[in-house]
Amino acid sequence: MIQKKVCMVGLFGTGKTSLVQRFVHTLFSERYLSTVGVKIDRKQVELDGTSVTLVLWDLAGRDGQEDITTSYLRGAHAILYVADGTRRETCDQLPELRALVREAAGDVPEVVALNKSDLKERWTITDADEQALASTFDLIRTSAKTGDGVEDAFQRIARATLATREARP
Amino acid sequence: MPDDRAPWESSATGQFDPSAQELSELRELILGPERRRLRELERRLEAGATPEEVADLLPEAIALRAGRDRQLARALAPTVESAIGESVRRNPREIASAIFPVLGPAIRKAIAETLAGLVASINSTIEHSLSPRGLRWRLEAWRTGVPYAQIVLKHALVYRVEQVFLIHTETGLLLSHAWAPDLSASDPDLISGMLTAIRDFVADSFAPERDAGGLRQFSVGELTVMVEQGPRAMIAAVVRGQAPDTLLTKLQDTVETIHLQFSAPLADFDGDTAPLAGVRPLLEECLATVVATGRERTSRRAAWLPWAIAGLLIVLVLGGLAWRSHRRWTGAIARLRSEPGIVLVQAERGGRWSFTGLRDPMAADPSALLAAAGVDTATVEQHWEQYLSLQPQLVLARARAALSPPAGITLALAGDTLRLRGSASLRWFATTARTAGLPPGVAALDLSGVTPDIPPELAGRVADVERERILFGVGSAALDRPARAALTRVAAALVRVQTAAAVLGANATIELAGRTDPTGTDATNQTLSRERAETVLAALAERGTSPADVRVSALGTTQPVAQGNPALNRSVSFTVSLR
Repeated sequence: MIQKKVCMVGLFGTGKTSLVQRFVHTLFSERYLSTVGVKIDRKQVELDGTSVTLVLWDLAGRDGQEDITTSYLRGAHAILYVADGTRRETCDQLPELRALVREAAGDVPEVVALNKSDLKERWTITDADEQALASTFDLIRTSAKTGDGVEDAFQRIARATLATREARP
Repeated sequence: MPDDRAPWESSATGQFDPSAQELSELRELILGPERRRLRELERRLEAGATPEEVADLLPEAIALRAGRDRQLARALAPTVESAIGESVRRNPREIASAIFPVLGPAIRKAIAETLAGLVASINSTIEHSLSPRGLRWRLEAWRTGVPYAQIVLKHALVYRVEQVFLIHTETGLLLSHAWAPDLSASDPDLISGMLTAIRDFVADSFAPERDAGGLRQFSVGELTVMVEQGPRAMIAAVVRGQAPDTLLTKLQDTVETIHLQFSAPLADFDGDTAPLAGVRPLLEECLATVVATGRERTSRRAAWLPWAIAGLLIVLVLGGLAWRSHRRWTGAIARLRSEPGIVLVQAERGGRWSFTGLRDPMAADPSALLAAAGVDTATVEQHWEQYLSLQPQLVLARARAALSPPAGITLALAGDTLRLRGSASLRWFATTARTAGLPPGVAALDLSGVTPDIPPELAGRVADVERERILFGVGSAALDRPARAALTRVAAALVRVQTAAAVLGANATIELAGRTDPTGTDATNQTLSRERAETVLAALAERGTSPADVRVSALGTTQPVAQGNPALNRSVSFTVSLR
């Protein structure tokens, strides 16, 4: 069995938790997020005949990014950032967040889910901003409401973790 | 200075020359530096390396050799050891302060772990001494006389390791998982992750400094989660009940073993648990250690049941044995009582069974009867007085023993008369039956029902006698010539019969029956028939034949030989009986 630790990081209110809720196996309640600061779920991904279990560490997103418990990031095989298209600051802070995460988790594959794609008309980030992000991140639009892009995001994460494994000597 | 000259130079010049001075200076100018370097090289080759030179090369040489093989370490080890020993002898304080930073944490860790175990057992003792369970244990200690501490220990050992997780320390991913057979373990991978998160959470919240040891143990109700950290993986055991200190040691050992045996797969772990499949039996060992003690707890609840079953079995077995013994006893007594020729006077069943009574020698063997009734005769005492039984069976048995009748004879008792029936050889009839004494209980022998088997030769001789008729004239009892001739034949035949019978031991009885024709009165005829028979008897005597047993009967006209033949009826006939 192949397991991968994936940390989900994003600012408060980016819809991180609701993004995965319908797609993952959940055992613990959301109270953990506000108490322990992390909630662990599981996502099974089939990839070219290989079954990969993504153990998702949903890290509590609080108002200040410095609140992230960096211990939880240790050993992560990949990071899934979640940003909110309707809240520009969640995108703007991604580079800083990335620096913080990399300090704890190292240089691991990253995917950015640009959430709330169903509310495109209310987005505060422009196409240009999106282009800029896509130049530094593997970016994918998602919608927790319609489910668009979510499975795809997990597929990409899984593929990335397997690729790094194979790349190792 | 011949050394200063080159070989060709000396051979060319041979002796000193004033102009050679200048040449020498020139040579010195041109070749001087090379010469000096050559001399220096020669000197070095002869003298070997100097300390200065070795000092320059030593660090590099050591690094080079140490990288190549372990020879250097081997060579240095004795020197280093003796150097350390010398150093300690000279100034112990120096070396103590040097190794203190290493020793301190190691000792602290060892002491902390020992104390943690001690505190756990003290805690459990205190806790139990105040609870209702503790009071029950005190009662048990008082009742059994076992020290209270031992009772507590015994009950504190009641626990069960329900699940064991092996968790990758860095990622929190589940490496392996073992759980008790009757348990359903759900989502161990998520629990493993959450356990790691909580460990990090506790460490971050309360002990921010690194290497503080992390979360060791926490309890929820009856459950205790024990965590044993290793550098690459940690083991977490979910224990129900009171976990003993030995379990902690067991978990430590397991973590160490896993790190030793799976060091490469652990170091290379990148999410694939397949290379670590072999870890599972080690985890299961942690479960197995405890399931055995866990059983003690369930058995305590129904402890009376095995005892009750055992007791019931014992009662059943003893009852069965007693019942069987009783049945044998009554069976044996009934058997002895019903047996003819045995009179049971007393039967006792104390330590040994004993039977006392009377027994006819002809009766069945009491030991055989007892054995047939299932009694072990070797352990039974028997006292039998002999007596004669008059029960018909025994009288008959005695008669049979006395007469030894042939197969064709049946014996029956009518009152005190023994009746024999059937056919038997004349010899047996004539000897045994006649001469044997009457057995006890028999007053008379009735042999009338027995037909002797007469041999054909003897039967022929008898027939020779019985065929003859001595005929008389009308109203006469006198013998005429033919009658006398017949008598002579009869006499000879009789002798032959008697001889043959004597050989077989039998007696021949002859009956002479005199008859008359119907003329005349019955009284006259009666007298006449007697005269005729006695005449024949006398005539036989005259011929030397005197049968021992002769009967004469005067039949007159009562039993005529042939009706309507007066001549044949005026006669005497012979009947031979062999006895």
